This record gives sequence, C-alpha cells and structure tokens, in this order.
Amino acid sequence: MAVGIISVVLLTLVGGTLLTFAAGRWARYVALGTSLVFLFEAAYMLSAFVWPLPNGAGVPLYAFSETAPWVHLSWLTINYSVGVDGISLPFVLLTAILQIVTVVYTFEEDRHPAAWFGLVLLTCLGSFGVFVSLDILQFFLFWEAVLIPMFFIIGYWGGVRRRYAALKFLLYTHVASVVMLVSLFAVAFYSHAASFDFSDLYGPAQGLATTTQVVLFLGLFFGFGVKFPVVPFHTWLPDAHVEAPTGGSVLLAGLLLKLGGYGLIRWGLELLPSGLEHAAPLLYAVAFASILWGAFMSLAQRDLKKLVAYSSINHMGIVLLAIAVYSSLGVMAAVLLMFAHGIVSALLFMVSGSVHDSFGSRDIVSVNGITARTPVLATMIMIGALASLGLPALVSFPAEFSAFLATWDRLGYFVLLPLLGLVITAAFYLWMMQRLLFGPARNLPERAHDLPAHEAIAMGLLVALIVLYGILPSLLTNIIVASPIHLLP
Amino acid sequence: MVGWSVLFPYAYLVPLLMVGSFVVVGLGGTRLRRFAGGGWIAVAAAGASMVLGVLLGVAEMLDPTYTDTHVVWLSLPATGTGTFPNGFELVMGTLVDPLSGLMLLVVTIVGFLVLVYSLGYMAHEKGLPRYFAELSLFLAAMNGLVLADNLFEFFVFWELVGVCSYFLIGFFYEKPSAASAAKEAFLVTRVGDVMFLLGVFLYFYVYATSGPAGGWAAHGFLFVQGSSPFLAGVMGGSTPLLTVAGLMILGGAAGKSAQFPLHVWLPDAMEGPTTVSALIHAATMVAAGVYLLAVTSLFLGFTATDDLAIVAIGGFTTFFAATMALVQPDIKRVIAYSTISQLGYMVLAVGAGFAMVGMYHLFTHAFFKALLFLAAGAVIHAVGTQDLFKMGGLRRTMRITSGVFLVGALSLSGIFPFAGFWSKDDVLSSLFGELGSHPLYWPFYLLALATVFLTGYYIFRVWFLTFSGENPRDRSLPAAHEAPGVMLVPMIVLAIFATVGGLFPFVPAFAHLLPGAGIPPSYTATDLALSALSVGLAAGGILTAWAFWGNGRVFELPAGSAAQPVRRLLLKRYYFKAGYDALGLTGVYTFARLCDFVDRYIIDGVVHGLERSFGGLSERGRRIQSGVVLDYASYVVAGVVVLLLFLLVVGPYLVATWGS
Amino acid sequence: MTDAFTTAGFLALSGALLALGLFGILTRRNFILLLVSIEIAVNAAVLNFVYFAAFAPTTAEALNGQSAAIVIVALAATEIAVGLAIVLGLNRLRGSIDVTGATDLRL
Repeated sequence: MAVGIISVVLLTLVGGTLLTFAAGRWARYVALGTSLVFLFEAAYMLSAFVWPLPNGAGVPLYAFSETAPWVHLSWLTINYSVGVDGISLPFVLLTAILQIVTVVYTFEEDRHPAAWFGLVLLTCLGSFGVFVSLDILQFFLFWEAVLIPMFFIIGYWGGVRRRYAALKFLLYTHVASVVMLVSLFAVAFYSHAASFDFSDLYGPAQGLATTTQVVLFLGLFFGFGVKFPVVPFHTWLPDAHVEAPTGGSVLLAGLLLKLGGYGLIRWGLELLPSGLEHAAPLLYAVAFASILWGAFMSLAQRDLKKLVAYSSINHMGIVLLAIAVYSSLGVMAAVLLMFAHGIVSALLFMVSGSVHDSFGSRDIVSVNGITARTPVLATMIMIGALASLGLPALVSFPAEFSAFLATWDRLGYFVLLPLLGLVITAAFYLWMMQRLLFGPARNLPERAHDLPAHEAIAMGLLVALIVLYGILPSLLTNIIVASPIHLLP
Repeated sequence: MVGWSVLFPYAYLVPLLMVGSFVVVGLGGTRLRRFAGGGWIAVAAAGASMVLGVLLGVAEMLDPTYTDTHVVWLSLPATGTGTFPNGFELVMGTLVDPLSGLMLLVVTIVGFLVLVYSLGYMAHEKGLPRYFAELSLFLAAMNGLVLADNLFEFFVFWELVGVCSYFLIGFFYEKPSAASAAKEAFLVTRVGDVMFLLGVFLYFYVYATSGPAGGWAAHGFLFVQGSSPFLAGVMGGSTPLLTVAGLMILGGAAGKSAQFPLHVWLPDAMEGPTTVSALIHAATMVAAGVYLLAVTSLFLGFTATDDLAIVAIGGFTTFFAATMALVQPDIKRVIAYSTISQLGYMVLAVGAGFAMVGMYHLFTHAFFKALLFLAAGAVIHAVGTQDLFKMGGLRRTMRITSGVFLVGALSLSGIFPFAGFWSKDDVLSSLFGELGSHPLYWPFYLLALATVFLTGYYIFRVWFLTFSGENPRDRSLPAAHEAPGVMLVPMIVLAIFATVGGLFPFVPAFAHLLPGAGIPPSYTATDLALSALSVGLAAGGILTAWAFWGNGRVFELPAGSAAQPVRRLLLKRYYFKAGYDALGLTGVYTFARLCDFVDRYIIDGVVHGLERSFGGLSERGRRIQSGVVLDYASYVVAGVVVLLLFLLVVGPYLVATWGS
Repeated sequence: MTDAFTTAGFLALSGALLALGLFGILTRRNFILLLVSIEIAVNAAVLNFVYFAAFAPTTAEALNGQSAAIVIVALAATEIAVGLAIVLGLNRLRGSIDVTGATDLRL
C-alpha cells in the first residue's frame, strides 16, 4: 500500500526527534526545521481534508486513513491503523502549532539543549500519535510515549520541588493510564470484536448491554478524567505546572490535557454512547465541581502560574460538561474549546514564564505595575487573560458560547452554575491584572527587561491565531462537523 | 432613480473604518508622534465613518426600510434529531432600520466631536496611541452594536464595548483608584452580561423551537420587523420562559446602563479621562442598555411582568441616583449620577411600552450630557481640580465654557425650549397616559416627577459653585483660561444640538426615525398642564439651588441638623459600594481561601496519607525480599500449592455449591 | 504396554522424582547440589511427556510430546552450562558456593 501523509508525518517526527537528540549544539535548528516541516504537513492535511461519509454499516471512515496488519492471531487482530476526522484534525493542527511555538519560545535553552529539544519533539510526536491512532495498542503506546518525556522535562528542567512534582505527575497519570488500558481491553473483549482496531470495535461496542457500557465507560472516564484533570483528581496539575519549566507547562496545558478530552470523545463517547448517557449525571456533577472549584481556587492564588493552572481545571470542566451533554453541539463546543484552551493557555504559561524571567518572581501580590516597564509583555498578559475569560472576537468565546448553549439545551437552568464560574473567572483575571499590571510599580528589579525577540515571536504567533480563530471560528467548526458528531442528537 | 437604500449594504464600513484606525494606531504606537499620537488618524477615520453614518441616518429618514445584510459566522449542520434538527446558524450582519439610523447619528457625531476635543484635552498626556487606539476600537464596537442584526451579535459587540470601557477607565493605570475602578466596572457589568447571555440563550431557544413561521431555517435569529407581536402570539405572551428571558435582558441592560442595583460602577468610572466619561459613560455605551431594551421590546417582545419590572427599576433608579447627586463635591460625579438618573427615565419609558420615547430621550440626552462632560472637562483642564468647593467665579475667565455649560444644564433640567424639555416631557406624559394600566405605575410616576425638581437643583448647584461668584474659593488654583479652539468647537456644536435637538421629531422626515415620539397631534389641556408642572418643578429646583449656592454663596448644613445623617448616607452612596466590597472581596475571597485550604490540606492530604500508608506497606513488604534464592524458591512452591489447592479443591467446591 | 508399567506406577515415579527434586531445591545450600536437584525435578516432567506420548493416537501427535521432552533436555543442558559458569564466578568472587550468602542484588 502507498504511504499516506500521516505515516509521512510520523516518520518526519521520529526522524526529527532522533536527529535532534544526536545534534548536540545544533539541536535547536534541527528542532525548528522539524517543526516547520510538521507545520507545513499539518497545513497540507488541513487543506486536503475531505471527510468520507460513513458507509452503509454506519462505521465511520477517516481521511488519510491507512491500515496495515501488525499482529494477527486467530483470536485477536492488532493493526497499524491511522486516520483523521473532524474531531482529531484540530488537535493535529494544535500539536503542530504548539510544537513550533514551544521550540521558538525556548530557543535559547542552554541546559542540555539536545535533550531538551528532543524531549519536546518526543512529547509532540506522542501527542500526534494519540490523535491519529485508531487501534487500542497503538493508541496506548503513543499515550505512554507522552508521559515519559514530560516526566523528564519536569524532573530535570523544573523548579525547586521538581522531583516531587514529576513523581506526582507520573504516578497520577500512570495509574490512570493503566485503568484506561484495562478498560479499553475490556471493551475489546466484552464486545467480542476480536480486534483492537477502532473500526472493528465500533459496531460491537455500541451493541453492548447498557450496564456493561456504563461500567466500561466509568473505567474510561477515570482513565481520561485524571488527565483532564477533574476534581478531585486534579492536585497533580498545579504542582506539575508550578515546577515545570515554561516550555513544559505549555505542552502540559496545551497538549497533555487535551489527550484526556480527545480520548473521552473518541474512545468513550463514540464507542459507548449509552454508557455515557447513563453515566451523565456523575459527569455533570464532576464537571460543575471542576468548573467552580477551579475558578475559586484561581481566585485564591498569588502565584501567576498556579492561577493559570487552576483556570485550566475550570476550562477543562467546561469541556467535560460539553461532552457529557451528549449532543452534536456539545461535542463541537468541546473540541473547539480544547483547541482554544490549547493556544490560550500556552500564551498564558509563556507570559508567566516571562514574568518570572523579567522580575524574578511570579507573585502577583508583591510584583506590581509592570506595564510601564514591560509594555509588550503586559499587552500579551492582557490579551491572554481576556481570551481566557471569554471575550468575543477571541478564540474561547465561540467555544464557550456553544458549550453553554448545549448545556442550556440539555440541563436548563443548571447552566447558571458554569455561568457563575464565568463571573469568577473574570474576577480573578481582573484582580490579577489590577495587581500585576496596573498601579504604581513595586518590587521591579533594575535588570527587568521586556520580551526577547524569540519569545515575542512565539507569543505573537499565538495572539494572531487567537484573534484569527476568534473572528472566524467557522474555519475550525466547518472541519469539526465533518465527523460522526452529526449522528448525535 | 437610484435610491438612498443602495447605501444600506455598506453599513459595515462604519465600524470597519474604526477597526482600521485601531489597527493602524495600535500597531503604529509611538512611531505616530507626528500625528498627535495617532489622534489625527483616529479623527480622520471617525470623520469618514461619521459621514457614512449620517448618510445612512438621512437615508433612513427618507426611506425608512429594514435592510439586513449578513454572513454566517458559526453553523451547526442538520442532525435530524434533538433540539436543533435542522441545525442552526449564527450570523453576523448589519440591520439598517430607523432605530439603528437614529443611533448611528448619535454615536458617530458624538464620537467624532469627542475625538476632536481629545486632540486638545489629551495633548499633554502620556500614552496617546493607546488612548486613540482604544477609543477607535470602542467606536468600532459601538457602531457594530448599533448595527447588529441579531441578539447574539448584539452580545458580541456589547462585550467588546465593555472591555474598551474597562481599558479607558483604567487609562491612568498607575493610579490605584483608576485600576480599581476599571476592575469594578468590568466585574459589575459582567454580572449583567452573564444575565444577558442567559437571556440570549432563552430567546434563542424560543426561536429555535417555536420561532416565526417557516421555522428556524427561514428566519435565523435575526431581528425581523414585526416579529415581536408574532412571538408574543406564539408564546401566549406570558410563558415563564419568555418572562425570564425578558428579565435576563433587563439584568444585562441594568449592568450596562448602571441601573439599580448594578449602578455602583458608573460614578467610579469617572476615574477615566473626561473625554471617555463624555463619550462612553454618558452619551453612548451606557445608553446601549436602553437601546438593548428598545430593540428587544420591538423585535423579541417583553411580557407584562417584564414591563412592570422595567418600569420599577427605571423609576426607582431615576430618583435614587438623583438623591445621591445632591451632595457630591466632585463635578464629574454629580454629572455621573445625573446620567444614571436620566437613563432611568429612558428605561422607564421603554418599560411603559414607549420604546421610541425612551430612544427620544436617549437622543437628546446624548448631546446635552456629552456637552456637560466636555464643559466640565474644560473646567478641570483649566483649574486642575474636580472639587466644586475649590472652584468659583470661573464665569469671568471661561465665558464660552460657562455659557455652553448653562445650555447643557438648562437642557438637562428640562426647561422650555431646550432639547431635554421635549424628550423628558414626552417620557412623563407617556407614562401618565399609562397610569391606568397598572396601579403600581403610580409611585414610579411620582418618583420620576420628583426627580425633575432634584435635577434642576443638583445641576444648578454645580453651575453656581463653578461659575458664579467673584473668585475661586481655593486661592492656590492656577489662573483659569478659556479652552483652546479644538475643544471649544465641539462644545459649541453640541450646545447647538442640546438647544434645538428636541425639535427634530417635528421635522417630518426625521420623525421616521422616531415614530410615535414627540408631542402627539392630540395635544390637550391636560398635556399642557403636565408640561407646565414639570417645567415649574425644574424651575423650582433651579431657584432653590440659587438660594443656597447662587452668587458665590456656600451653604453649610448646621452641625447638629437632623439632615446630617441623611447627607452622610447620600455621601456614602447608601453604603452600596461598601456592601459590594464586603461581599466581593471579603466574602468571595475568604471562600476562595477556604477552598485553597481544602485543596492543599484535605484533598492533597488524602493523597499524601495514601502515599504514606502505601509507603509503610511496601516498607514491610520489601523485607520478604531477602535476596536468598532458596526463599524465593519456597515462595514459588507455596504459590504452586495454593494454585493447585484452588484448582483441585476450592474450584470444584464452588462449582458444586453455586452451580456452573 | 505390559502390566509392569501401569500409568499409576509412572505417575508415582515422576511424582517421586519431582518431590525429591523440590526437597533438594528447598533445602540444599550448595549451588551444585541445587543444580542437581533442579535437574531431577525437570526430569520428572520429561518422563511424563515421554510416557503420555505413547498413548497418542497418531504418530504426529506422539511426536509433540517427544519433541517437548527433547527440548527440555536440551534446555537442561544449556541451563547446567550457564549454572556452572555462575558457580565458577561465585566461587571466584566469594570463595564459597553457598547460595544463601549471595544476596548482593537485594533492593
């Protein structure tokens, strides 16, 4: 069979990662080159994307799909199976974007640059693999391939308590992924599909008895939920973010959290729809708790990075809510919101890192009035905060609007709970801006400098995307709807 | 013949020109020093958009049609099931109709004049590119809001004007009070915005499930002429859903138009430059709440309960705000409270079912209130203080300013024949005609009437304290001087509008923009008596002000007077601000800290406890691992024995007991 | 099949060998004796494979058991080779081939 674009991308990333590890002091250029090629390939996928409509049997088809036998036993088929649809393509684009901005932002990394850039590329390789894999084993291998580099990124380049944070991150996510793997195996075996391939599982899994579906779905929900993360399995996130280096935080918030949401849609919602429907009340409760808890926790933080980390919990709670309402609008909103959160939180973690670099502290209570000293950085902080609190014309707004509309459609006045979260979100960002950006300058060291060029370029790229997709969200939504979500109510 | 209507599809250019100005000035930054910090670019763009806006307004006068142009912004394809079986489309577009034509006139003209005035007023400030960029973005968003052709788009621009207002209030960001006021404004209006958002959902839902004939696909969510009666008919006019939707819209409008109980932010918003106060916090943005109510009432419909709530909020706010204006020592704050009070009149009119009368007052108010702010700005510019008790006698040095301020004050008080008289009288007489429809209208009518007296008093208190007398009371003030021409010309233009603006509905063409407003053809003796009553009340207020403050007099309330606690209550703004601070800062923040504690020590505590217990377990478990091969061999044997036992003994026993 | 070689007898023989081997494995501390004990236990399995192969209906299936026996014998040979190499190494390192003393890899 011919080698498709997805295999080409995988080969590019594998080759680029290996070359980067080997490239020594030239690593950053190799990494940048790889990222540019990846971005180019992702753009090609975006432009050439045509979603094949499902055939008569209702099994969804995928664009750029490739299937090759990998392990064939009489009782089990494992394939190399890849493909994208409207649900995964935005994440492919997100991966390409975040890879290049991370490489550019950390272009001047001087502690073991080859290892750093190699691990960054490896994380993105794993994420890309997760988003395109349509086979349980392959999916799991890529899934794990994301955790290991992130463990080292936090554990080596991290802050003072990096060992604690890295271990906590690894334990939480690893326990979750074991549960996820077992649940996926159970889906494969209980449905008697005799295959790990998504297309083979699709029909049999949907035909499972409701009780079985609910149990299996709850297993998957635990596995993916820790990654979201949902309350009360969220405490690894702030620690990991606070200790992670800026580039690590960008990937962690931008990509790793999305793996959970994507997985829940692809392997949970699509395979076990009645499991989701019957488990929905639990999901609602968890989602509301995450939204409000994340918002209130953000309000209490003094550390800019921790504030942003808790706001991620709030936003991913909205994503969970949108998935749980189980409607085409909800899934569209969830994917769009994850994309939005990916680029917005990347920007916010970058500004947190730059604040720390410039002023030696991220404490918004003691560092005040930085606008006059570092206007460009201050502008970036404002744009990031406004995007995150859902200002129209910036990317989160259409996503949050759709999510709340879907929630209203299913749950009626319960939508007031996430709307309350929206007010608190505005409150903590405004409070942060009032303290950090405005007022008389306090505790600003003499050496404080505005953004270096490479950081400004990385942030500028993100801002451009935030505005572009905020004004023209249909660029993304027209892709997202080219997926099985039209089967949903 | 090519009609005026060829212009209508190009209405999007009005906001787009200002977006262009925002981008150029925003990116140009300090490189634009030669263009007054980008001021000339902004003025040029605003001028062009004013020309187009006025043309559109005039076109609507001559050809009062509804022209809608839109593109799809976000769509969901048909799924065949669920709430939206045919999918839906959210669109962005422009609706040029008489109402938006009227608003375009107000927004583009006042916006242009304020920008011109800014060239003089702001000349010595730092950060001019930021100022002009933000003001351009504001005008773009405001024009977009005016032209919005559906409630969703309205919300989008609504939020954008809100954020521009946030940045402009916080323009002097190094002042902690400005930063705090900006945050307060954003947060308080955000509460209203969330209600508005819910209102959008509710109307959207009503439309999607039982919208105008032809269903969702045919009409979208657009404002369609005459759809309000239809909706009311479909929903029986009084379903709980529609009532709640209307109340939510009222909540949004109350946030933006600073109506009770979300009024606290507007006086504090005076921390921004005076130009911003004039344009945003008097003439345009705060009036958007009234515009929202008018648009909703025309296109979507309120139920009777909603109308009563609107009347109550508007009527009460009118009086409530006016009382606080009585004692303020700060010139801008008095005018700010008067804005809240006047907005209350407009809300009152919309609630009583006279949306056009409310818009009429909005129209005249925009001019005289912008004028008052700009004149106050000229005074502040000249003497460098906002404290009324330090000023005095400025009439001698600032003849033109004192004159135009007087025009504005007369117009605000509602003295015949200034603009404010016509519209305020229209509000009062319309409400008077409705008094029979609900007994609860009476108290609010009386409050509105009493406010006329208060208005005359407080605005002339300002005028006397500022301009009358011989010399400034504070001798250390710099010698005042008349404002430069670039500031005077906009004020004079506004003064002309504030004088004759009320007569516009009497021009037949212009009346197309305000159908139903203005003095009715059946003008009776009762109407005349009512007009005389309100002018009399206003004149009484002015005379009272003269008695207390005229000719440089300063009225001191006796120390032991029974009125002192009242004065104190008014100065403290009925303790609303303190209450909200206690609720917001102390209450919510303490709760957040509590959450933080729980997160740190309870949720993570459980995790760490688990970790410790597993750690202890494994500490004991590792002792099994002796390293002696023979021990391991015995574990293997023991394991095999257990398995064998299970297979041979336990298994068969279970099968025998429980069946296969 | 003659009467002298009953199934019960074979099973008893291989069981006895296994028990003997296990007893040796659990009690011997000398590495060489340990290896000898393992061999005895393994041979119990070989005996079973060969014996039950004789009952196979076809030659092909009989070969299954016999080839398993041959594989085990071959494995045992390699195992002894490796085992003796370890014995030599252990003796050189510690001067003794007592297995209970070799606990350096313990965590």
